[in-house]
Amino acid sequence: MTAFSGDLFDGRTSRAHPVHARVDAETLHIEGDGIALAIPLARIALAPPAGAARGVIHLPDHQELHSGDHAALATLADRLSGRTPERWARRLEGRPIYAVAALIVSAGILFAGLRWGVPAAAALAARTLPAGLESRIGTESLALMEKISLRPSGLPAAHQQALTAQLAARCGRQDCPPYRLLFRNSALFGANAMALPGGTIVVTDALVNLAQHDEEVLAVLAHELGHVRHRHSLRLALQGIGAGAILVAVTGDIGSVTDLAAGLPSLLLQTGYSRDMEREADAYALGWLHAACIPPRRFADILGRLDRSPSDTGLLDSHPGSRERIRPFIDAKDC
Amino acid sequence: MSRKHYPVQFTGTGGEYFAIWIVNIALTLLTLGIYSAWAKVRTLRWFYGHTLIDGQAFAYLATPLQILKGRLIALAALVAYYAATYFAPMLALLFLLALFAALPWIVVSSLRFHARMSAYRGLRFDFTGTVGEAARIYVGLQLLFIPTLGLILPYLAYRQVRFIVDHTVYGQTSARYRGTLKPFWSVYLLAFALMLLPLAIVVYGFYQAYVLQAAGLPKEMVTAATAGTVGLGFLLFYLMIPVVSAFVMARTANLLYNASELGPVGFDCNQRARDMIWLYLSNLVLIALTVGLFIPWAKVRLARYRARRLAVNGPQDLGQFVAGQQQQSHATGSEMADLFDLNIGLT
Repeated sequence: MTAFSGDLFDGRTSRAHPVHARVDAETLHIEGDGIALAIPLARIALAPPAGAARGVIHLPDHQELHSGDHAALATLADRLSGRTPERWARRLEGRPIYAVAALIVSAGILFAGLRWGVPAAAALAARTLPAGLESRIGTESLALMEKISLRPSGLPAAHQQALTAQLAARCGRQDCPPYRLLFRNSALFGANAMALPGGTIVVTDALVNLAQHDEEVLAVLAHELGHVRHRHSLRLALQGIGAGAILVAVTGDIGSVTDLAAGLPSLLLQTGYSRDMEREADAYALGWLHAACIPPRRFADILGRLDRSPSDTGLLDSHPGSRERIRPFIDAKDC
Repeated sequence: MSRKHYPVQFTGTGGEYFAIWIVNIALTLLTLGIYSAWAKVRTLRWFYGHTLIDGQAFAYLATPLQILKGRLIALAALVAYYAATYFAPMLALLFLLALFAALPWIVVSSLRFHARMSAYRGLRFDFTGTVGEAARIYVGLQLLFIPTLGLILPYLAYRQVRFIVDHTVYGQTSARYRGTLKPFWSVYLLAFALMLLPLAIVVYGFYQAYVLQAAGLPKEMVTAATAGTVGLGFLLFYLMIPVVSAFVMARTANLLYNASELGPVGFDCNQRARDMIWLYLSNLVLIALTVGLFIPWAKVRLARYRARRLAVNGPQDLGQFVAGQQQQSHATGSEMADLFDLNIGLT
């Protein structure tokens, strides 16, 4: 038989009645000054205590029995029917070894989830989202960029048409994702090329002017076609949502104090994600250039030039170390 | 009748909370977030159970399933909002407007749920504020923020404190707020002044640049000479944000408790702004240095400080409060307030 002492509150006033309680097979008996209650175990609910805080037993008619006798409460909990998740949690919270295990499990899941889980889920979501939605996002992003810093291109129309025609001719002979090529002038983006959701590729005048050969522009466009093929813009947006949701879910309960500290890892993650995508787009570009019989060196040449003119930010910002990136393009044989 | 002084005690330790916190995180991750409802209940039950007045602890009454239901509804709204911001910014704007319109309801149902799920000595709290009054304060007065250049803030804070205290009920006993607007002005004027200091440095830096440029110095030299001043101003500005919010929170807590009465019971709250600022800044640094592992200790430090600075003045016997009617409540509004990061409660 289990016995313990505690305070009974009758739910009608705030008076604490010191009582003794004992539990037999079917009943909880509570006795004190002028109090004698016998309550069937089926009618009581035990809120498992958290840590060393006192436990609360909820009795019928909003009565409460508070007790700090954790051993007795644990025995009582075993008698009550129904194994609630909280009772398992209480067990896990009780031993330091479980806390260490929980720490390792949490860190492992967080790392794996953010590093591999989120990108995989984003890729899956990108495949299932309707194509119409993706192109609408692309249209909206383009409208936003045009408002911020895109002006009509200053390139000669003949040059624009020549580049468009060259790309179209190549894509007629080999496998390309559906795309739309736009020339724009931009002070903000410098020498740059961007693949938007839905297949729109924007090339800046500065990039075309930086190129010493049309094939260099085509090499950059091949890289952007790689982004389009793998739907990188959409996946990056989806990954941002996913990673943000996970970080908020884990750190969210602390509130504004950690907002600063939580912002940094998510920034690092985004950079990590985009690095993987650059590698993917590079691999696509290498294959594409080979099939199109354009010397892969062209890509290395223009990348090297971008690297040397640090004022032309953009294309290189989130890109992996360019020396490491250029190597396969230099080593590759011409077709 | 002689009165008695009851200090508020917080008996939890960081180590004990760490075990609960890390198990909560692990189980939440393993169950893809479903456990978070249980985690919230475990956490609040721990904090309530370790907060004692007159040797009796507070009790948190919400069940995990209640929280889970509210959380799922709020989550659906949050997901819709995020999807809208990414895929259709115009729709997101409409969504924000709808959220703004729903704000009074969220405020009231959140405060009501929180109160009804809190009990002390077997009696529940309740919150009786109406959506209409919440709309006047949280939407009406909030809209005056820009036209009044922020000068509405002291009045807004005063009305929020009065709204919360005057509609809080313990058992059958209603709380009363006897404070005035004036002390809120001194808190917010000092806060404004603290925020103006870094801005003044920035303005001074730009003024310096203008003078040097007018004197005919080359642009590079002007930039080199004044960049330090401007940078210092911006750095101070960001440092000032946690400092000022800690200051305002400490002072507001004092103003709230010291002018509140709950029947025969009064409160004594003497938080010091400089203690609060130190707690905030040191917590921030330690959390960053430990990749978040310090969070449980940081929360316990705050809870312990708040308890140590708060006391209750009351009759010799606190057993004379009488119960009110029991009422049901839903967690949806409260979970919405949580997920959308609305700062409603005052501590």
